[in-house]
Amino acid sequence: MRMLSRLPLSRGALGLLLAVASAASAQQPPVANTVPAGPDAALVAKGKALAIAADCGACHTDTLNHGKPFAGGYPIPSPLGIIYATNITPSHGAGIGGYSEAEFARAIREGVRRDGARLYPAMPYTSYALLTDEDVHALYAYFMHGVAPVDRDAPPADQLARPQGLAGKRVDAAGLPVAPTNTVTRLPFPFNLRAAMIGWNWLFLPQERFKPDPARSAQVNRGDYLVNALEHCDACHTPRNALMGTDRSHAFGGAMVGSWYAPNISADPVSGIGGWSDAELVQYLKTGRAPGKAQAAGGMAEAVEHSLQYLPESDLEAIAAYLKSTRPVRDGADTLAAHGHGTAASLEPALRGLSGHNNPQPLADGAQLYSGFCASCHQPDGAGSANQAYPSLFHNTATGLANPANLVAAILYGVDRTVDGKQVLMPRFDGQSYVQALTDVQIATIANYVLQHYGNAAAATVTAQDVAYARQGGKPPLLATLQPYIVPVLVLGAIAVLLVLVALWRRRARRRAARG
Amino acid sequence: MSRPTLHANGDASADVVIVGSGVVGGLIADQLAAEGHAVLVLEAGLRIQRDQAVENWRNMPFENRLHSDFQGLYPQSPDAPAPLYFPENHYVGLSGPNGSAFKQGYLRTVGGTTWHWAASSWRHLPVDFRMQSTYGVGRDWAIGYDDLEPYYCRAEEAMGVAGPNDPALQSPAERSKPYPMDMVPWAYGDKRFAEVVNAHGFRSIPIPQARSTRPWNGRPTCCGNNNCQPICPIGAMYNGIHSIESAERKGALVLAQAVVYKIDTDEANRITAVHWYDAERKSHKATGKKFVLACNGIETPRLLLLAANARNPNGIANSSDQVGRNMMDHSGMHCSFVANEPLWIGRGPAQSSCIVGPRDGEFRAQYSATKIILNNISQVAPATEKALAMGLSGKALDEEIRRRAVCGVDLSISLEPLPDPNNRLTLSATRKDPLGLACPDIHYDVGDYVRRGVAAVHEQLKTIGQLFGATDFVINENLNANNHIMGGTIMGADPRDSVVDGDCRAHDHANLWLPGGGAMPSASVVNTTLSMAALGIRAADSISRSLAQA
Repeated sequence: MRMLSRLPLSRGALGLLLAVASAASAQQPPVANTVPAGPDAALVAKGKALAIAADCGACHTDTLNHGKPFAGGYPIPSPLGIIYATNITPSHGAGIGGYSEAEFARAIREGVRRDGARLYPAMPYTSYALLTDEDVHALYAYFMHGVAPVDRDAPPADQLARPQGLAGKRVDAAGLPVAPTNTVTRLPFPFNLRAAMIGWNWLFLPQERFKPDPARSAQVNRGDYLVNALEHCDACHTPRNALMGTDRSHAFGGAMVGSWYAPNISADPVSGIGGWSDAELVQYLKTGRAPGKAQAAGGMAEAVEHSLQYLPESDLEAIAAYLKSTRPVRDGADTLAAHGHGTAASLEPALRGLSGHNNPQPLADGAQLYSGFCASCHQPDGAGSANQAYPSLFHNTATGLANPANLVAAILYGVDRTVDGKQVLMPRFDGQSYVQALTDVQIATIANYVLQHYGNAAAATVTAQDVAYARQGGKPPLLATLQPYIVPVLVLGAIAVLLVLVALWRRRARRRAARG
Repeated sequence: MSRPTLHANGDASADVVIVGSGVVGGLIADQLAAEGHAVLVLEAGLRIQRDQAVENWRNMPFENRLHSDFQGLYPQSPDAPAPLYFPENHYVGLSGPNGSAFKQGYLRTVGGTTWHWAASSWRHLPVDFRMQSTYGVGRDWAIGYDDLEPYYCRAEEAMGVAGPNDPALQSPAERSKPYPMDMVPWAYGDKRFAEVVNAHGFRSIPIPQARSTRPWNGRPTCCGNNNCQPICPIGAMYNGIHSIESAERKGALVLAQAVVYKIDTDEANRITAVHWYDAERKSHKATGKKFVLACNGIETPRLLLLAANARNPNGIANSSDQVGRNMMDHSGMHCSFVANEPLWIGRGPAQSSCIVGPRDGEFRAQYSATKIILNNISQVAPATEKALAMGLSGKALDEEIRRRAVCGVDLSISLEPLPDPNNRLTLSATRKDPLGLACPDIHYDVGDYVRRGVAAVHEQLKTIGQLFGATDFVINENLNANNHIMGGTIMGADPRDSVVDGDCRAHDHANLWLPGGGAMPSASVVNTTLSMAALGIRAADSISRSLAQA
């Protein structure tokens, strides 16, 4: 899954704290190409399977713009600026063709480029740090011999489509979206100081490879490796601490990712997935859908679409077994599992006849808006279609969580995933909608109606401002809002220091004069 | 991206000023905005949201729904009336032998009449462009099928048309590209009907439809709500509003409740400005380089006549005296019967299959072509009306409703009129709209060509009825309108007897385009929207070239 907008905060924090370390990004001498001759086909195939499980293509293949595999250019928006995935094909000029296996390993496990510059943790190297040498070897063989080199750099950014609802949208004075101007990642100061990652890595980068725990079953160990190293599930589902490292004390406890909420997937039966059967978890990971539980949208739809659906059943079962074995993380406010909320309810009979058949007024009431925009598919009673191709709105985590973000994001951005060659589409209702662009107030009204009648009624507190934030890619993190003030604060600080120095100098000069 | 300028006094200026925000105006706005031109769209009617139409429809009385009131649920601007029939508002004054067959239902609303169309997206046949030279009747177009074919492809792409990619199921089969999506799957009724009638020389084939059979550009897949008319509740069907909103995302400015009533021309008879009344009835002026009137087959000729000025005393673009003449529609009729087997009509969209065997043939030298649609609107409502009228009650009533609902058949027949200058739209001398602008009057006579076609189609319908052992077999003798309004700004090579050229550019005004149904010189027998859209996109190319020269 793509690493998203929470991560740039870490860059910011460290940019402030550790801006001194820039010398470390000095150019290193070129290393001769050490691609092994005559790759082992089985090894390349193994590497390919690992690359799918690690979901490398989610970012490094620009599917939005029909980009070539692993040729980069996919814009990963963040509140602090856009990060562009790079070309990781074996091209010598534009890709990683010149990397030795050791350099490749260092890049994916330690976040250090061949030239010594630090990667941003949008690249989930803190997860890949757990990869075994054997798997890194296979991945290297695949990227050197199983991927076609693309010698061209990523296409100009102004020709690129943008991902949906993940982070800040730049707009001009007229409110129109502004396309990024290049595909080189250029974040504003101080987030542009890649060397700041050195200190961060010291704090948060695991130093050891994955080692199976002999006290656990082989299946759970396999699941651990898949969840924590390859699929990097924690990157989204584990909350982050003040320095934006993953908060291991709340592992898999759920966290915001842009406009979406990556729910609690710990083993807790109320706040997490403890109430799901293993079969339901496997079905969800394989298809993006577990009736009566949830459906994948946003970043999770991408994870299913690009990675999870291709994993062997045994791996999905291992993931389920591992997640069920994790330490339960309970939110004290939760009293009922998200999928336990709600029931069928229709206000249809009460609606008819309330207004005439030529009413010229825009509809403002939640029941009317629900009837006009939602009920044709989800049905007047919210139960969805008989075959659940249109899901029930009750017994559904999108409406049952204490955090209503996913309901709001689903209305704004729709649901779009292609699994096993079949595309599932719920249309979006934001400004790009083909069906109808809805206002923040309309979406908040619909969301609250749905939450009250079919979901977690306690969560029916969605405001137009909440929707506005979701429309912009999520509420910006504190540091993003501070960014414009960082330089002035630094300048003021420098002036203050200068004034102190001047004062000290004068005092010393006066003393000297007094002594003289 | 360029945007029109809206001045402090409410006036506006743009590169291109488009009057009318339906499918044609919308497609042109979308293309020219995408090319970076500043585009202003002026729409006389209201801007509505989809949920309003959905909820108004659900609140409609049974009587309106039973008798296909597609107009009444769309709220109208008080200053821009459009026809209403429940009850009739007589906004369009009809006269002549077949005036009652010209009761058109068109919307003056942002997005236009495709809010309530059925999405049938037919092409004319190649021969339809050469009616005079082939059959000695009607008129030839100024362009041929091959000239319009690339634009048909672009229109199908823009509107997301799902059609049969098997040439044996196409009409016409002359295509340079496949349909963007494969055909809407046939329900049991479509399959069974074709199986029975096609064995007897009728040719029932899939209707190409601007409707999703898979997720398409963010548009959901049709799930068969069966109420395309009067409103698709999920947006699976193309509406002009989609092109309008797409254009807006590219910088176009769309003003609702802007009733254009006056057109300025300069010494070279180029258009310099159009004037409109806003919702407060204040007048404003829009200046631009190029102008498009795409207000619908009735409102465009009406506006051209209303806007007569000193240089153009008979109306704008009317030196030929052809503006408002040659009014056409596929006057049609319905045939209903109860089949001797269940056909389960009502699964899927409103219309999915159509008999096109009598679309063309040597007979067209003598009489009208025909198409016969197997109407797929649920039969429950008419079945109920009939069963109630039989005086039934209780279990017998339920059983009769069920029998008629599953065995009931409704065929919608279209006929092909010829352009006749005497079928004419004029400005009413007595009736004014709320802004004091003259209402349209239309004199209509379908002509003997159509009347002979009616006789021929009666024989075809009787044969179909016999094939299904029909009972309650009724052919409605009253001709009805089909809202395919054509001819009022007719295309031709000769400026003396036509209004626009092959690009829909007005012969009289170098910077004015009048694309849409009004330009069509032959009606063929199929729904006009795709041809209108293709003409619109062709006009957009012409405007684009013209802007490049300026």
